[in-house]
Amino acid sequence: MNSIIIGQYIPGKGFFYKLDPRTKIISILFLMIAVFMLQNITQLLIAFGIAFLMLLIGRISILKVIKGLKPIFVLLIFTFVFQIALNTEGVILSQATMHFNIYSVIGIVAVFVIWRLLLRFGRLKILLFIAFMLGVYFVLRYINYLADFYSFQFTIYEKGIEMSVFVVVRLLIIITLTTVLTLTTKPTDLTSGLESLMHPLKKIGFNSEDFALIISIALRYIPTIFDESQKIMAAQASRGADFSEGKLKDKMKQIISLLVPMFIIAFMRSEELADAMESRNFVPGERRTRINILTFSMIDVYTSVFTLLCFASAIVLKVIA
Amino acid sequence: MSIISVKDVSFSYNEKKQGLKNVNIEINKGEWIAILGHNGSGKSTLAKTLVGLLEPQNGEIIIDSIKLTEETAYDLRKKVGIVFQNPDNQFVGVTVRDDIAFGMENLCVPREEMLKKIDFYAEKVGMIDFLDKQPSNLSGGQKQRVAIAGILAMKSDILIFDEATSMLDPYTRNDLIQYIKELNEEGLTIIMITHDVNEAVLADKILIMNKGEVFAFDETKALLKNKQIFLDSHLELPVTLEIASKINNKKIKESLWEFTLTK
Amino acid sequence: MGIYFNEVTHEYASYSKKTYKAIQNISLRIEKDYEFIALVGHTGSGKSTLAKHMNALIFPTSGSVDIFGKHIAQKRDKKISYNQLRKNVGLVFQFPEYQLFEETVEKDIMFGPLNFKVPLEEAKVIAKESLELVGLDETYLKRNPFNLSGGEKKRVSIAGILALDPDILVLDEPTSGLDPAGKNTLMKLFTEIHQKTNKTIIIITHDMDLVYEYFNRVIVLKDGELSFDGTPDNLFRSDVLDSNHLDYPNTIKTLKYLKEKLGLDVDIYQKNVDDVVVEINRVIANE
Repeated sequence: MNSIIIGQYIPGKGFFYKLDPRTKIISILFLMIAVFMLQNITQLLIAFGIAFLMLLIGRISILKVIKGLKPIFVLLIFTFVFQIALNTEGVILSQATMHFNIYSVIGIVAVFVIWRLLLRFGRLKILLFIAFMLGVYFVLRYINYLADFYSFQFTIYEKGIEMSVFVVVRLLIIITLTTVLTLTTKPTDLTSGLESLMHPLKKIGFNSEDFALIISIALRYIPTIFDESQKIMAAQASRGADFSEGKLKDKMKQIISLLVPMFIIAFMRSEELADAMESRNFVPGERRTRINILTFSMIDVYTSVFTLLCFASAIVLKVIA
Repeated sequence: MSIISVKDVSFSYNEKKQGLKNVNIEINKGEWIAILGHNGSGKSTLAKTLVGLLEPQNGEIIIDSIKLTEETAYDLRKKVGIVFQNPDNQFVGVTVRDDIAFGMENLCVPREEMLKKIDFYAEKVGMIDFLDKQPSNLSGGQKQRVAIAGILAMKSDILIFDEATSMLDPYTRNDLIQYIKELNEEGLTIIMITHDVNEAVLADKILIMNKGEVFAFDETKALLKNKQIFLDSHLELPVTLEIASKINNKKIKESLWEFTLTK
Repeated sequence: MGIYFNEVTHEYASYSKKTYKAIQNISLRIEKDYEFIALVGHTGSGKSTLAKHMNALIFPTSGSVDIFGKHIAQKRDKKISYNQLRKNVGLVFQFPEYQLFEETVEKDIMFGPLNFKVPLEEAKVIAKESLELVGLDETYLKRNPFNLSGGEKKRVSIAGILALDPDILVLDEPTSGLDPAGKNTLMKLFTEIHQKTNKTIIIITHDMDLVYEYFNRVIVLKDGELSFDGTPDNLFRSDVLDSNHLDYPNTIKTLKYLKEKLGLDVDIYQKNVDDVVVEINRVIANE
């Protein structure tokens, strides 16, 4: 098993790859706060534009960022619908009765079946999902040939659209920022960056260096543990533990047959690793030199200045409003 | 010249489990010692006491004229390095470079010096092209080589191998043994724990452990001539010597001995 | 009936988008009876991948495998119960740590049969019998598997698969890490099972001495391809091993040395120590 991509880091060139991880962590933190301070949609759309420009300057593949959005896509849709449903101010843009009767229920079932069928063949799962939602909407709105056993008014207000766009765009900006961070920063650099930033915590007894070492050891073992889990599953599957079928009670046993060996191996590993580290003169809490060091350069300065300007602007805009 | 002195060392894990009983050994500088014995014979326990991971209840260990105590353990660990059996459970770094650096980082070696040493020792063990690779992309044998590089970089001149080849396939195992031979020829003292007699016969001396005690300790050839010792400790002779013991022809016997000891 | 490989290739996807062919165009026939096969090859030659196809743990990316009449190709066939195949072909992996998990040896061995809905009482009997088969007595039943020695753990893991009563037994390096006495005990066990039941046994091993002494068929893989399929004797008489990072048995190496060093006219192809001694003595007597 070759190395898995941990946390979406994909090697590349470009502006963001050259930045010190500390600059990236702090800047993204401040930029996210700035975005949350913005009040109206125009400001937000400008921020969105800036974020888009950042992607272009950094030569980040827009496709990769969109891929990073896939997991929360359903969340975005529901947020959108939620905001539309909840906001009842302003001009009414559309008002329609949603009819629940026998035909419309059959219609919904039909749309559902078509959706599941198309899912098997099609690739555009997201578009199909949107089509499904629209399908349900149109069925509920227009199929009213019989008496309804239930109906409600689905009203779309101007404010609803405004707020839903606002919330969704804000989410998009936040996710874009964090995606840029994890896409362009090696997990080990991220750890080094956090270690450096947490250095002041040493004064209250939290050893950031040991903590960072623990994190980097954990990262180093992720591919190994993954390989081992595969081996354990293969061994248990060879004894009839079918991980794909089975009742709930059986599944419990199967999961235990997977977890127990993993834990035992982990315990043995931690003992052996501790021995190895100690025999190589590791003493927790003692000073160590580093092979990997972080250095600032001019682009870190430019980025920090830019971030400060954005942050200041956001404060100003908030104060003015 | 004695470099390691084990004097009357006893160690118990608990009341039921005795690890070592009155062990007395002298190891000279530059020697290659093979330690043979079954599981539970005390081989690994001995190895761990030599690097101070376990503290004997009785007796003393003297390494390079310095007595091994809790205070001196840190400094003595710079002289004695140990390579363990499981290549995965001693690889600390995220990359080969980081792992070789680990020991030096602990010793506060300045960064420029570390970079030079890493290149030097990676070259020495044949891993110079792998410096940026992650351990999940390396074979068992490669990981063991990285472990050796990391220890050499700490300037250890005594190397302990605790069954370091047992998880490797025969080809890689042979490769590693040949490399250990090279290290020994350069002057390093080697202590090699193994349960494979065929590996042990390449060493200068063989130490047989049984139930925590020293059962036999002698020059390899002398020990091998004593078939009874092997039978008594439930070890088997190498196949070639097994054959030699059943042949009466002197010339063939000598040839077989030569074949055994010079692989 | 058996396991028939038809031009099987298995490609793994690696994250850098380069695919890696673990095995390529393998075609093999393994019958369910009478075969005692050694599967050898350098590390990375595809032995484990090949073995995992045998009980449908993985599927070919091209080609197909017929296992006891069931046709295994790239896609899952809903009509085939792949789980059932694990009863026909029992696969024991190399490290018992990946398999043992129960509080007692008895429970661990019963895991397999219970997964196939064998009644509890019957499973207990099977556990006891399987344990006996691997040379461990009743006292082991209530012991904790994690307190056993390496060799004992190995035997318990083998017992766990024997408990399924498979028609074909595949073992991945069952003797690695054991001392010579342990190796011989296990090999005698497998030979016994084979002789008593005539079931086919396939063993992945690196130990050429064992290959020569015990097996009647050896399959050699090199870089994912089939390099040799025949008798051990023919293998050692050919030059396949030389290009393969593989070694000759000690018997052959020793006799070769004597032949070259002392000019002894020995037939180097002897299977075990006793045969070697007999051969050397024969040549001495003639001179």
